[in-house]
Amino acid sequence: MNILRFVLLLFIISTFSYASKPYVEKVLLKKITKKYKVFAKKRFFYQEKSLDSVRNKTDLEKLNKVNNFYNSVRYMSDLKVYKKKDYWATPWEFLGKDKGDCEDYVISKYFALLYLGVNSKKLFFTYVRSSKFKAAHMVLTYFKTPRSEPLILDNNNHKIFPASKRKDLTPIYNFNGESLYRASKKGNGKKVNSKKAHKKWDQLMRNMKNKKI
Amino acid sequence: MTLFKQIAIMISIFLVIILTTVLTLNFQSANTSVQDRLYEDAKNTASSLSLSLGSANGDVSMMSTMINANFDGGEYLIISLVDVDDILLYERTAESEYSEVPSWFLENITIEAPVASANVSAGWSQVGILNVQSDVAFAYKQLYTILMNLLISFGLITITALVVLYIILAAILKPLKEVQKQAEAVGRNEFIFQKNIPNTKEFKEVVLGMNKMVSKVKAMFDKGNAELKRQKELEYIDPTTKLRNRKYLIDKLPEYLKIDAASKGGINIMTSLSGLIEANEQIGHRDVDQLFNDIATIFRDHAQGYEDPLIARMNGTEFSILLPDCPSINALAIAEGISRDTATVIAKYELDADVVFIALGVYQYNYKQNIGQLLSGSDNALAQAKFKDSKIHLDKSLEDEEVMGKDDWRAVINKAIDTNSFEFVSWTAVDSKAKKVAHHALSLTMQADDKKYFYGQFMASANQIGLSSKIYQNIMQMMFKSPDMKLKNNVCSIRLSFEYMNMRETYTELSNLLKVYAHQLPFKLILEIPDKMFRQNSTQMQEYKALFEKYNIDMGIYEFIGESDDYQYLQDLRPVYIKGEPSYFLSQSDQALSALRLITDTVGITLIATGVMSIEALEKLQDKDIYVIQGKVTEIIELS
Repeated sequence: MNILRFVLLLFIISTFSYASKPYVEKVLLKKITKKYKVFAKKRFFYQEKSLDSVRNKTDLEKLNKVNNFYNSVRYMSDLKVYKKKDYWATPWEFLGKDKGDCEDYVISKYFALLYLGVNSKKLFFTYVRSSKFKAAHMVLTYFKTPRSEPLILDNNNHKIFPASKRKDLTPIYNFNGESLYRASKKGNGKKVNSKKAHKKWDQLMRNMKNKKI
Repeated sequence: MTLFKQIAIMISIFLVIILTTVLTLNFQSANTSVQDRLYEDAKNTASSLSLSLGSANGDVSMMSTMINANFDGGEYLIISLVDVDDILLYERTAESEYSEVPSWFLENITIEAPVASANVSAGWSQVGILNVQSDVAFAYKQLYTILMNLLISFGLITITALVVLYIILAAILKPLKEVQKQAEAVGRNEFIFQKNIPNTKEFKEVVLGMNKMVSKVKAMFDKGNAELKRQKELEYIDPTTKLRNRKYLIDKLPEYLKIDAASKGGINIMTSLSGLIEANEQIGHRDVDQLFNDIATIFRDHAQGYEDPLIARMNGTEFSILLPDCPSINALAIAEGISRDTATVIAKYELDADVVFIALGVYQYNYKQNIGQLLSGSDNALAQAKFKDSKIHLDKSLEDEEVMGKDDWRAVINKAIDTNSFEFVSWTAVDSKAKKVAHHALSLTMQADDKKYFYGQFMASANQIGLSSKIYQNIMQMMFKSPDMKLKNNVCSIRLSFEYMNMRETYTELSNLLKVYAHQLPFKLILEIPDKMFRQNSTQMQEYKALFEKYNIDMGIYEFIGESDDYQYLQDLRPVYIKGEPSYFLSQSDQALSALRLITDTVGITLIATGVMSIEALEKLQDKDIYVIQGKVTEIIELS
């Protein structure tokens, strides 16, 4: 009986400690609130709540929750939001401003899924061409296995489909920053001090590290 | 080490450190840039090639061909393709070729070529990851070329900077060089007034301070000079006739009565004017003084034509007229002339010739006599003259029978010159206060026909027959060509005669001699030159001074009795010492000696008394602060 109580206590403690590691830390949330005011705080609160709700669910449930949550953010070009032609926003900037372009959706979805425990090797940033909009576009692709057909998380189409169902999208180039880091570190066997993978990705990583909001 | 060198070294080190640092930073920057370039090239290749590979739809042979095409066309070390399971699909590698880069560079410089990776996909499917790494050999070559260019550039910059630094430093420190020259001059008792005042504050203050000091010392010298001139007037000049006085005669006579005197003898006419009281009563003091002036003029007129005559007023009525080399045959004619002209002058003043008249005692002297003998002989002649109607009487000194005639001397001396039969003997000049030898005074002996002649025995005859300069030429050659090694590391002096120094060819001869032999002289040499030469030939002496200074030879003065009208020559020529007879130093008033001391102390000249024969004379000299002496008494001074 005592052993059962001890195990229960351990479970409660571990659950509590796990729950005490939110997606957005308190200090950062304070800064976000200060900058983007009380509505932003509410968005981040719902973000936390949404992610918590699928923490112990399957990858597909996590994908759906994350896709739905971030697709509710308004689309707006980088030129209007950041006065730059192309800018990869951090998830805090994206949700704080509550607007962004296709790369910003992909980035936010990617990091939210990583937070929820989805393996980074399964997630790719994919450059595509949208025949519907006749424009360059980016979506997040999920590969259950390296050789399986990917699922497409798109901000234009709120439902997740397998790639074969998305005839409106032509894939151009897949890229996964984490895998490139790993590959360049291995190199030709010699240990090379490198922290470069992709120009935009590298800049994003620096912004993430600096908690840019 | 000079300040210039210290600053130059310091700034040079600083400059080299700065340039080395800049060079290192430049090189490091180039190194980073090259490595960045390596990555960028690899990344561009990876990105473009990964897109191309996508079109192969996973066909490995197609992808291999594409990889080959890229690999062969660029500077790559590795291009590899791995599939999604991390299995190598294809790889091309190359061996780096470092032939154009030296091994030391390869060992010391590390260049890392980062691996650039890109995902390869075919449609929605992943193919794998492409890795590209550039070849560092090309980067090494580039970097080595950059280093060489940097080294050449910085080498040129360093050399240029050091040259510019040297020029700037030389310009900045130029005033200091002048200050240094001034300080060195002060050390040599020369007093240079710096006219160019530097602008640098510190240098300016130093120069102004030095100038002030130099001015003060110069003022002291001028004061001493003026005082000595004033004292000379008081000590040596008769205020009425402006003739020399008895004191001057006594101080000057040693020059005429010495072994190596220029003249072997002559006549001294002692005159006395009788009837002075009556004359004063009759025409008054003022006219009597004028009468004496007229008589002095008569003396000067009759002494003309004789070299180095010496006319002195002995007392109120007596005068002495010393005429070297004047034969007794001429003496009576001169005396008669003076008597006649004086009588005319006395008549002009309408004085009674029987009461006011002049008597002239003509005395024939020779150089071997002392002052007392000459004066008493002259007084005797005057006494005899007063009893004669003509008032003129001639007396001759009892001359020693000359053993050798002039021709005999000429033969002996010429033989000695031809056979180099002269030898140096040295006497010591002693500092009786420090109880130390001040220097060794060199004299000569002459060996001829198994007989040794001392300086005093042959030099007078050599002077008479005109061979003294030839002897000096001979001994100067001897001194420089085969110096006495016993005197090594000592200070030695040798006297050079006025005649020798005054000869036109002496300067050239000495100049040639010093040029060849001066550097091998084992002792410090002081050349003693008579005061007369300093006073009368100052321009020539300036040339000698420059010549001697060039070879580190000092000058000394002998036969000094302070008879110059201006002592500036002591400051200009700066002898190391002045030698004078004890009688000169002892007969000087305290004021005159103080004035002389002021001059000599200002320019660092030592006073030396020569021919000091007794302890009593030494003590008297010491009372007057003359401590360095030469003469027989040095033999009994115990040296420490």
